[in-house]
Amino acid sequence: MLILLKYIAKLLKALSSEASPAQIAGGFVLGMIIGLTPIMSIHNLLIVILIIILKVNAGMAILSFLIFSGIAYLADPVFHNFGIWLLEKENLQITWTSMYNNEFWAITKFYNTVVLGSFLIAVALCIPMFPITQLGVVQYRKHIHEKVMKTKAMKWLKGTKLYTIYNTYQRVRG
Amino acid sequence: MRIKGLIFVAVITALVFLASWISIDSYIESEIEYQASIANGAVVEIDGFELSLVDLKIRWDRLQIANPENTWENSFETGEAELDFLFWPTLWERVIIEDIIFKDFRLDSERETDGYFEMPVNEDGEGPEPSFIAGVIGDVTSEVSANAETEFLDIKADVNVDSLLAKLNLQAPEKIDSLKHGLEQKYSKWDSTLSNTDINQEIAGIKETIEAIDVKNLKQVDKALAAIQNVQKLTKQVDSLKNKAQTIRNDFQEDFGDARFSVGRIDNWIKNDYDRALKLAKLPTIDAQNIAQTLFGQELFSEYAGYLEYAAIAREYSSKLTGGEDEEKIERFEGKDYKFSDKYEWPSLWIQNIDLSGETKTNIQLAGKITNISSDQSKTKEPIKFDLGGQDDANRSMNLTGEFNYLEEEPRETIRFEYAGFGLAGTKLSPSELLPYELVEGTGEIAAEVNIIDRRIDSEIQYQNKGLKFDFGENPSDGRVQQLIRDAVSSADQINVTALVDNVDGPLKIRIRSNIDNLFVDALKSTVSREVEQARARIENEVQQRIGDRKEELLAFKDEKEAEIRQEYDKLEAKVNEQLQIIEQKKEELEKRKKEIEEELKNKAADELRKRIGF
Repeated sequence: MLILLKYIAKLLKALSSEASPAQIAGGFVLGMIIGLTPIMSIHNLLIVILIIILKVNAGMAILSFLIFSGIAYLADPVFHNFGIWLLEKENLQITWTSMYNNEFWAITKFYNTVVLGSFLIAVALCIPMFPITQLGVVQYRKHIHEKVMKTKAMKWLKGTKLYTIYNTYQRVRG
Repeated sequence: MRIKGLIFVAVITALVFLASWISIDSYIESEIEYQASIANGAVVEIDGFELSLVDLKIRWDRLQIANPENTWENSFETGEAELDFLFWPTLWERVIIEDIIFKDFRLDSERETDGYFEMPVNEDGEGPEPSFIAGVIGDVTSEVSANAETEFLDIKADVNVDSLLAKLNLQAPEKIDSLKHGLEQKYSKWDSTLSNTDINQEIAGIKETIEAIDVKNLKQVDKALAAIQNVQKLTKQVDSLKNKAQTIRNDFQEDFGDARFSVGRIDNWIKNDYDRALKLAKLPTIDAQNIAQTLFGQELFSEYAGYLEYAAIAREYSSKLTGGEDEEKIERFEGKDYKFSDKYEWPSLWIQNIDLSGETKTNIQLAGKITNISSDQSKTKEPIKFDLGGQDDANRSMNLTGEFNYLEEEPRETIRFEYAGFGLAGTKLSPSELLPYELVEGTGEIAAEVNIIDRRIDSEIQYQNKGLKFDFGENPSDGRVQQLIRDAVSSADQINVTALVDNVDGPLKIRIRSNIDNLFVDALKSTVSREVEQARARIENEVQQRIGDRKEELLAFKDEKEAEIRQEYDKLEAKVNEQLQIIEQKKEELEKRKKEIEEELKNKAADELRKRIGF
């Protein structure tokens, strides 16, 4: 509970002013990739490591992962069909075969319709989603943040004992 | 770049490796033990299991495979073993083992603990369908239990005909009695019919009417004519009586025909009783097959069933593992895997080579190879092959070779086993009571070959024993058959037995032949057959004796009663014929009288005319 609270607080803090819009957008698109693709894929391990190592916002990555997991469930047939189309494409057969015969690429399970389809769609979505998220953060700070902080939900959250403890802990920690 | 994040990832990675390092051995060991125990049907135990991911090796100190038939014994065990496996296939959940070296391989070793394994309940609750090989094992096993030993032992005791017949409950006497009762009723009916028939009364009436006609006193023609007409009526009445009598005769003759047919069945009833008595006495048909099977069937077929069980296990697991793999079932989030080459076409399990060395229970040093054990031969393109052999200082040798080939549509199993030069001194050649003597000298040799292609089986076991010398001891043999067998084996220093099991020409045939079959048969036929024939004759006599009197009595009764009835009928017929004669006679008399009257009238008329004319 404390960890979840920590990330919500961090997310709110980041959204208000602490983190740059690019860091938040980075967390968003990386979380989106994990959410859209099968979670037990080798590329997701690399993305988790990237989230930890890079200065992207982890809270936004978690939020994004949760949102896009739900979307992925609905979009699964689209990913599957897109994967079939790609894997059966005549002019890509040589590429696929050489990748298949290479153990490194084979481990990625690119030859699976859902893995390939969802990963490529997720990567493609990164291109519009990154600047859109950046823009969204700027707009949020300018127009929405104040209103959100004044909502009853936020007031209730700030009034909880856990939040007080967390704040105290953060102050002591410096 | 977050330095803290980098350190966090490094620490987590190190912890994961450490945790795996500590727990992976025991996890894999328990998983292998569990899965192997299910496959074996009894406990499979591995001691000192170690997995090295650095040099890709697995080793253990001891492996025990419990025998499902006797869980306090191991089918085999190995000492220290080491095997190499390939890394990349493990990422595809495939285990490819290049080499295993089994040292201190031991067959049929004793266990310190019970190797019973509680099999998990099958999800569908249904047991597997019995396979073709399991069916053959079942047939062979029942052939062993149904061997001729019991029947030979029966011969040793005299057949007690009295108790046999008491048990038998002869049916012919009852049937004969019932037939006699039926005939009595029939004959009584005919007695009554013949004595109470109205023919007699009518004849009496006719007789009276005839006698009342006084021919001599008839003076007038019209009266004579009336009498003649009356007699003609009587003729018709007697003719009718004659027909009536004829009908009675036809009826009883028909009944007599039925009775004759029923009496003719008596012999069949007696024969049936006799056949059932023979069946109950279990008098055997003696041939070489009975003898060879009695003496050697149990041991040879037990060995044979053992070979087949290995083939059955291989075939069962081959089909089970092959059938379950790579089923295309697309679940949500699962997708479909495409294959662009056969690079990863590995079976779930493939042990490419096993080097074995160890010893048998009889201390023969064995060494050899088993190659290409796999869960799917269509992927390895290799059948399972095994070649084990060895010998000891006393020149005993053992060889086991074979192939389990599931590459083609029809599964094929070939097993060849040879065990030669083993001493027979101190052992018995047969577990049968009929050959209970221990051997003082002798060596044995077993060669077995089993070939199975799908549902066709062709197999042969040869059991050769040379330089035989029996210890018959001082005591006489227990029973005649045993004595005969003793005489036969003492005259031969070599016994060769061949067991054949095949369905090449149709249904499964199970046969055993031995070189001393003929000796046994000749001796047995000259004595035991005679005894059997005597028992047969006694049973036949007894059955005939109990039934024979009844049959004769019935026949006599039938003849007597039929003669009586015929006699009665003849009397009746004679009466009718007599009346006919009398009537005919009367008729003639009347005709004659009529002519006389007419003549008299004519004369009278002529005289009168002459008088009137005055002539």
